[in-house]
Amino acid sequence: MISICVKHLNKRYRAKDGDVAALADVDIDVAEGEFVTIVGPSGCGKSTLLYILGGFIGADGGIIEINGKAVTGPGVDRGVVFQEYALFPWLTVAQNIRYGLEMSGAPRQRCEETVERLVRTIGLQGFEHRFPRELSGGMKQRVAIARTLAYDPKILLLDEPFGALDAQTREVMQDELLRLWQATRKTVMMVTHDVNEAVYLSERVLVMSQRPGRIVQEFKVTIDRTCEREVTVLNKNFNQLRNEVWLAVRRQAGARSV
Amino acid sequence: MSFAPRTWLRSGAPSVSLRAAWHYLPIAIVLLAWQLVVEFDLVDRAFLPSFGETLSALWEMTRNGEIGFNLLVSIYRAFAGLAMGSIIGVAIGLAMATSRRADEFFGPLVATTYSLPKSSLVPLFILWFGIGDVTSIVSVLLACLLPVIVSTYHGVQSVPPVIVWSARAMGTPHHLILWRILLPSSLLSIFTGVRIALGFCFVLTISVEMIAAKTGIGKLIFLYGENGAYAYMFGGLLAIVIVAYAADRTLLAAMNHLLRWDDSIHAAHVGG
Amino acid sequence: MVERADAPYGPIGLAWAGLRHCYPLLLVIVAWELVARGGLVRALFLPTVTAVLEQFWILLVEGEIVGPLLVSLYRAFAGLMLAVVFGVFIGLLMARSKWAKWALDPLVSFAFPAPKIAFVPIFILWFGIDHLSKILLVAFTCIFPMIVATYHGAVAVSRTVIWSAEAMGTPEGKMLYRIIFPATKPHIFSGVRVTVPVALIIAFTAEMIAGGGGVGAALMFAQRFFQTPTVFVYILIMLATGLILDRVMLRLRHWLIPWHDESA
Repeated sequence: MISICVKHLNKRYRAKDGDVAALADVDIDVAEGEFVTIVGPSGCGKSTLLYILGGFIGADGGIIEINGKAVTGPGVDRGVVFQEYALFPWLTVAQNIRYGLEMSGAPRQRCEETVERLVRTIGLQGFEHRFPRELSGGMKQRVAIARTLAYDPKILLLDEPFGALDAQTREVMQDELLRLWQATRKTVMMVTHDVNEAVYLSERVLVMSQRPGRIVQEFKVTIDRTCEREVTVLNKNFNQLRNEVWLAVRRQAGARSV
Repeated sequence: MSFAPRTWLRSGAPSVSLRAAWHYLPIAIVLLAWQLVVEFDLVDRAFLPSFGETLSALWEMTRNGEIGFNLLVSIYRAFAGLAMGSIIGVAIGLAMATSRRADEFFGPLVATTYSLPKSSLVPLFILWFGIGDVTSIVSVLLACLLPVIVSTYHGVQSVPPVIVWSARAMGTPHHLILWRILLPSSLLSIFTGVRIALGFCFVLTISVEMIAAKTGIGKLIFLYGENGAYAYMFGGLLAIVIVAYAADRTLLAAMNHLLRWDDSIHAAHVGG
Repeated sequence: MVERADAPYGPIGLAWAGLRHCYPLLLVIVAWELVARGGLVRALFLPTVTAVLEQFWILLVEGEIVGPLLVSLYRAFAGLMLAVVFGVFIGLLMARSKWAKWALDPLVSFAFPAPKIAFVPIFILWFGIDHLSKILLVAFTCIFPMIVATYHGAVAVSRTVIWSAEAMGTPEGKMLYRIIFPATKPHIFSGVRVTVPVALIIAFTAEMIAGGGGVGAALMFAQRFFQTPTVFVYILIMLATGLILDRVMLRLRHWLIPWHDESA
């Protein structure tokens, strides 16, 4: 079952002296329950693609379908996590997590239970009534993820979710995301500039070209994800694959020597 | 926000009231200096009644209700205008920030009237509405309108798009975006505008009362000034300065509570 | 965020864009003229636009515009200059000296929200009805926003900038003059820009209350004798003055502090 279907997607931006093509002829298929990551050089348009999928900006041509239906705007079928967390600063942790559920009109009892469960899942017991300004970056991102999971969207769109975190927190969060995905098996499309992260987490890595972005290469990742991070990262296959992807991105970024 | 030399603070944790006393000590010193300067005839008593005389005049006016009545009249006018101006201002600011048409319509009007001293309209309003509450309230309303419109507009414009996007992705219907997302997000900006408007509301009220009014603290100060009863004039002045200060502090306290979730409010500290 | 449809360039396109830009103002003027002419309101309350323009011309020729305007502007600017000079000095002092901050902080806190226009009778008593009282009242009112703006600008100077200067052997006196003051100039300028209208308002209002020449006094005089077109003329003069001065300030900023981001 194809969850996300993108065909011949085009996006242009108006500039003072003519149009700038951001995306040109992008084709992607993501099956249900798949974890796919898009990598590419800076400014290639990968975030733009995600925003179009999220329904926040429109495309100029092509087909975008989620579960067979065309995308017309944002919706509760696609949960989004942004790099800047985008938490509502005037709401507490619990209120933030509860927000999506409230919007869908769920009964209070269910909201309470879900919030409690998620708070425990992300390990922030005791912080339910704190405001986002009192949390660290990693904690904020956990709340952002919990908030998105609360109303159980089938698809998750992640825009460089760990980009604002320090290296160690990033590793912890990657493992947590992996665990969550393995438990819920949602369809995930992630955008990142971190090639390591892409190979570590996803089943498929798509490489996007320089602007105007199009998908130019695809890597299937078949590493064993049941081991600890240390085992996985030091594994020869992992490193070989990661290097190949890294080179592919470098090539797209215009490095002459490759 | 108290300030003390480092060594004194290091010697232990001073209690809150001791801190407050230290903070306001400079004022006490100034008042003492005022009293002494007059007592020792360094300044002509005709031009400057002593602090003591001012206080007793104020006390007398409080006892016979003169201060109470006039202050209440002025406060009523000031706050009525402030409340209406703020509510209308927020509404217009919101409209301008969310609707292209509203922006095109109100934008030029706001930009033009921003530079107009609202007190210049007072003689016109006296002509139209006569001498009374309406003139004061309308003047205050107009003066408070603009800062609130501008700060609301800027507040809403600066809401990060990802916040609105997240809200929409989580199923927030269009009519709730304004109320549950845009407004709370811009609250700090709005309050900053209201604080500016608070300053204006007193200035305009006093201005109108001094230009032409029958009642009010401005009129009281003006009358006593004209009649040479300077201790009473100073007394009235002292009263309104205290009221304005108290109002400002109250608003600040309300802001700090309502906006305790805001990161930047803990960095900002205005008013010296 | 939203992309506007491209406006056609060329003179007609520009004129059309200009028209779209100020159509609300034109709407107001047209509505005003229609209401006044249509006799919906008595001429005493709302003279026609043409009547106001005529009166403007008459007053201009009689010297009733330029003279009072120069008086008011002189008072406003003299007071503003005093406020800027002393306000900047005090603001810088408070930023660098803990004792200065302790001594002046509560005074500024009390004075800031106080409606200083209430001091008009005192200033008249002390300094008479002519220029001095108005100038000093303007200075008294404007010094506080200048102090606050300067103070906030000075304390915002990045401490690494100060440390670098200290490491290169800058004594305290030079520190203020060569490092802190230049770095604070944008904030000072913002403070001045915000305070210019305040200076005008105080000058005009003090003149309205106490007389003694200037546009404010002329305005009150006209009102007392129910010369409504004249009242409107002076109101529009005040409006125009405020607008022009704001533009001037923007230009000045570009000229005086070109290195700051906001001057672009």
